Amino acid sequence: MKSSIGKRWCSRKTMTSLIAVATVAASGAFIGLSGAGAASASQRPKATVTLDFWNAYNDVTEIPVMNATVIPKFEAENPGIKVNDDVLPYDGMLQKFIAASAAGSPPNLMRSDIAWVPQLASEGILLETSKQSWFPTVKAQADPGPLSTNYFKGGYYGIPDDTNTQVFFWNHADFAAAHLSPPTTWNQMIADAKKLTIPSKGQHGLGVDSTDIWNVGPYVWTDGGNFTNKALTSATGYINGKATENAVSTLVSLYKSGVIGSDMVGGSGSISGETGFPTGGYAMYFDGPWAPTSYKAAGFTGYSTALIPKGPGGSVSVVGGEDLVIPRNAPNMADTIKFVRFLQSPFAQLAMAGAGDMAAYKVDSAAEAKENPALKIFAKELLTARARPVTQAYGQLDTDFSNEVALMLAGKVSVSAGLNTATQEANKALAAGS
Amino acid sequence: MIEEVGLERHPVDFAPGAASRRSGLSHKARRIATPYLLLIPALVMYAVFTVYPIIRQFDLSFYNWHIFPGASNPFVGWSNYTAIFHDPVVRTASINTFLFIVITVPVQMAIGLFAAAVLTDRLPGSIFWRAAVYIPVVTSWVVVSWIFSYIFASQGGVANWVVSLFAGHTVSIDWTAQTWTGNAVIWLLSIWKGVGWSFIIFLAALDGIPRQLLESARIDGATERRVWRHVVLPSIRGAITFVTVLLVIGAAQVFTQIYEITKGGPYNSTQSLMTYMYQTAFSNFFFGYAAAMASLLALILFGFSVLEIRVLRTQDV
Repeated sequence: MKSSIGKRWCSRKTMTSLIAVATVAASGAFIGLSGAGAASASQRPKATVTLDFWNAYNDVTEIPVMNATVIPKFEAENPGIKVNDDVLPYDGMLQKFIAASAAGSPPNLMRSDIAWVPQLASEGILLETSKQSWFPTVKAQADPGPLSTNYFKGGYYGIPDDTNTQVFFWNHADFAAAHLSPPTTWNQMIADAKKLTIPSKGQHGLGVDSTDIWNVGPYVWTDGGNFTNKALTSATGYINGKATENAVSTLVSLYKSGVIGSDMVGGSGSISGETGFPTGGYAMYFDGPWAPTSYKAAGFTGYSTALIPKGPGGSVSVVGGEDLVIPRNAPNMADTIKFVRFLQSPFAQLAMAGAGDMAAYKVDSAAEAKENPALKIFAKELLTARARPVTQAYGQLDTDFSNEVALMLAGKVSVSAGLNTATQEANKALAAGS
Repeated sequence: MIEEVGLERHPVDFAPGAASRRSGLSHKARRIATPYLLLIPALVMYAVFTVYPIIRQFDLSFYNWHIFPGASNPFVGWSNYTAIFHDPVVRTASINTFLFIVITVPVQMAIGLFAAAVLTDRLPGSIFWRAAVYIPVVTSWVVVSWIFSYIFASQGGVANWVVSLFAGHTVSIDWTAQTWTGNAVIWLLSIWKGVGWSFIIFLAALDGIPRQLLESARIDGATERRVWRHVVLPSIRGAITFVTVLLVIGAAQVFTQIYEITKGGPYNSTQSLMTYMYQTAFSNFFFGYAAAMASLLALILFGFSVLEIRVLRTQDV
């Protein structure tokens, strides 16, 4: 019985009729919908454009300000443009960005680590901002240091978003217990670090979070050393120069005697300086402008900040920060540029200064200090801070240097042998990138 | 009535083979073609997502390749391949990958087989124990890697707490920041998480052995050791081959646990071939060089798998 009904319904003639009816019905519906669309088109508001803004803002200080102050103001001033604040883990953001850009579905904008810009520019992923009509205005307003981090082979491939550096943090209770006053010279800081190391309390004199140039750089530069020549073509006589060797030898010897904690070698289980400093694990530590807000949130106020104690090379910290980069194939370019320009406006720069992001533009420094008084010392330190080598080879150079220092800490190579190897590798990387 | 009308009006349309006669295909030809037609979707997927990437990867390995479409990609011949043999990190990563294979694969197989033999239906609570052995397999690599990081944390970690109990004083070993302890943590996690997979395959294989075969061996006076050696192991040879080949291939591609726990550090000493390839491609942007490493690894694994299958097929276990 059932099969016969099926046969009847499946007959070719019936099927043909059904398909014809369905086609006509579908066409009618489509025409009807199109007509309805056309009728209401004039009444419909302008379509909303959503901009994807990739960043690695931290959730304690930066995200609340960006989402509650900066983006709402931009959206209110630019009806029809929405900003999707897409916060990603810092660790995988670069990889995700290049994969998405190559696949043709990049975000509109990324807040990039300054160290990534030359690398991304060398891959041809980024929009050359210096070719844009609005760039001269941005260039005139930007601080030269942060601006230079966007430079690659004759052009600029982003604009500065914020800048930062590290200053010297010291723990009141630890210094009082040891009857010490804060050091003003490099040698005094090293001597104090030894006195402030108390193994029974789990207290190290100094916290150094890694063997990379961001962490080791201030020690090398302040002690008079360097990593490359000015032209960024050679590391010979710099990484393996006498002053760098002295600085690295000091660090290695401090680590081996327990003055510097295990955070320098890293590993997933080690206690970072930022975690260990407020809990008495490290008596002294170099940290960035985000730290006071974090320490305040953790209820820790027993510390002071100062300029990095002067050594043979002066008081030389490291320039950090982020740049805003636009993928060459980003959609809605005009709206993206509107948002980029807004982020470098005094309103956005000062709002983010409240979250610890130092302005990278010549905004009123008094206004910035008023917004966040803790930034004053960082602004002063920035005057003598130095940028890490701005080259596409930086990633490789940093990895090789960092690995060699880690080998020295493990006692696998001598300081001079390790620095010679790092120099050879750096020269290769610099040559490949030139 | 409807039935009759239907039959009367379309008797030919539904007669067996009518459609094929109309389309010119014999019943035999249709029968032969059907399985191939059914295979087409899977073959297309395989070609698009496996064969093409392999060929493309081999192609990329001869260029200084840039990821962004339209960028200039200079041809560099075999230089990416020759560079592999002069790269000290490749040497370290190869040794680590080899150690990972020779340590984790036999241990996972041995524990998996032992558990499958012990956790028989006759054991009280066998379902619970079987689930307990298998559960790590379904957990997320990322999550368990983080849990192991906390267990082996230098300060506040459970491992140091246990060692301190035995030592009688506070011990603060930086497990994941040292070469051998870092590698050991990775091996331990991989074995713990992987045992359940071997266990389930061996359990199925052991269940498939005819009971009469085992009973007759025992009646003939064979000891348990001889029963295992001459009856059980030869009977599950197929499963052993399957588990060995897949575990070796999987172990050669170890990535997530290293990436999450040590990131290949300190000083590249826990790097595996896969983590180094990833770092080379996606941190240093040397895509051609990473593709050359991947091609070489694929070739070695293919050769090794063929050899492994041949040896295990021809030899008595």
